[in-house]
Amino acid sequence: MIVLETRDLECGYGEVKVLWGVSIKAKKGQLTTIIGSNGVGKTTLLRAIMGIIPVWNGDILFYGEEITKMPTHSRVEKGLVMVPEGRMVFPHMTVLENLEMGAYTKRAEEKKDEQLEFVFDLFPRLKERMHQKAGTLSGGEQQMLAIARGLMSCPEILILDEPSLGLSPKLTLEIFETVKKLKDEGLTMLLVEQNVHLSLAISDYAYVMAEGRIKMEGTGEELEKSEEIRKAYLGI
Amino acid sequence: MLDVWIDSIISGILLGLVYGLAAIGLSLIWGVMKVINLSHGAFIALGMFTAYFLFAFGLNPYLGVPIIFALGIILGIAVYFVALHRIIDAPELSTLLSTFSISLFIIGLGTFVWTTIPYAIDIHVGSISIGNITILGTKVIAGIVSIILTILLYIFLYRTKTGKAVRAVSMNRVAAELMGINTTRILALSFGIGIALAMTAGALIATIFPFTILSGGVYELKSFVICVLGGLGSPIGALVGGLILGIIENVITLQIPTGLVPFIEFTILVAVLLIKPSGLLGGEV
Repeated sequence: MIVLETRDLECGYGEVKVLWGVSIKAKKGQLTTIIGSNGVGKTTLLRAIMGIIPVWNGDILFYGEEITKMPTHSRVEKGLVMVPEGRMVFPHMTVLENLEMGAYTKRAEEKKDEQLEFVFDLFPRLKERMHQKAGTLSGGEQQMLAIARGLMSCPEILILDEPSLGLSPKLTLEIFETVKKLKDEGLTMLLVEQNVHLSLAISDYAYVMAEGRIKMEGTGEELEKSEEIRKAYLGI
Repeated sequence: MLDVWIDSIISGILLGLVYGLAAIGLSLIWGVMKVINLSHGAFIALGMFTAYFLFAFGLNPYLGVPIIFALGIILGIAVYFVALHRIIDAPELSTLLSTFSISLFIIGLGTFVWTTIPYAIDIHVGSISIGNITILGTKVIAGIVSIILTILLYIFLYRTKTGKAVRAVSMNRVAAELMGINTTRILALSFGIGIALAMTAGALIATIFPFTILSGGVYELKSFVICVLGGLGSPIGALVGGLILGIIENVITLQIPTGLVPFIEFTILVAVLLIKPSGLLGGEV
């Protein structure tokens, strides 16, 4: 079953077109990855999917239903959840308050206690720092909190925008292990990453973006073996 | 002589709490919406007249506070959708001009209806005397009402789901929207609460001093000074700033003419901006 689909999506900022007809699909229970270098429109695509920026042309479908013009908060209410680039935790709120904000929607509020137990299980360090202000956490902890907060929203699909950005290699590995764990739990995810090797290794299906278009697609394995990808992104 | 000083300081504290209340409204609007509300003074004056007419209809202005507050929320939300919603993402100059035009509109209309002759609420609630010190009851009640409203605002912001959403929006609007918060509704509500605080402060001031439709400007200036003192965006800072300003204002007028008060206030404003622009207490909601 396809959870999220974009059809010939076009959008941009002001006069500048960034996406030139992007079509992707994310299937239920799978980890779908979008890779590509800086400035090819990956984050713009996610912002359009979440409704943070308006779509110029094309459609966005969620479980087959058109949501192209729906406001962001209504998409979240439906279960379309994004962990934004740069974490965006609420710095003056405690870790617990941040997690409560994740469970803001009615749908998520009902399962708040269960989800809280689940994310504290996943990130024991957050439980230790429960009453600490989020702004005082380290970069890695803030990323964990951002993911945990996303999970609190009870996502039908969790969209992760560059979760390893600015993290040390060790923390990057930790984040990827978490993503792998969530995938094994059966969570549907859409991952955007610059860390091509690690992402391809754990994804079911992947898209390669360049200049606002999808250049290649295939299973993680296929792409990893592809000569073009190896040259362009893996440096081997 | 000592009695006069103590008297001035107590009066300063009580008035400072009321000034602080108006400033909290300004600070909340800035903190959540990043809008500098130049219509704050006009709404303070509108609160004064609302209290006046409620009193004329026989309602005690203090019992009228909930009505004035509710009216402020409704008016504020309406003004948000008419004048601010479409330009909320535009550069600050747009919202500055928009709130300024709201101010011109209210003051123009108010001048037409009520002219600029002074009004006063003739209410007597006695006074408290300790030794040679006499404090007017109206000031005491105004101070107490301000404290109660500030506490209620804190409970709202830190203990309720909607209040936490207000804080979330003030910290990061995109992230708040990504939590499923209808941020438009939160922005409208925040402006409503800010206006309600301005109108309530106006109503309380009206029980102490005479006023005209133009009186709001003076208190708007005080609100700006207080916010800068306490750090824009920090409600507690605004209250402390209010106390400082109230005391300074009442004590210096023992020595110098009242006409110089705005000059002193502006001097404080400039001095704080030069020395510690983030405010004496920093700034966060």
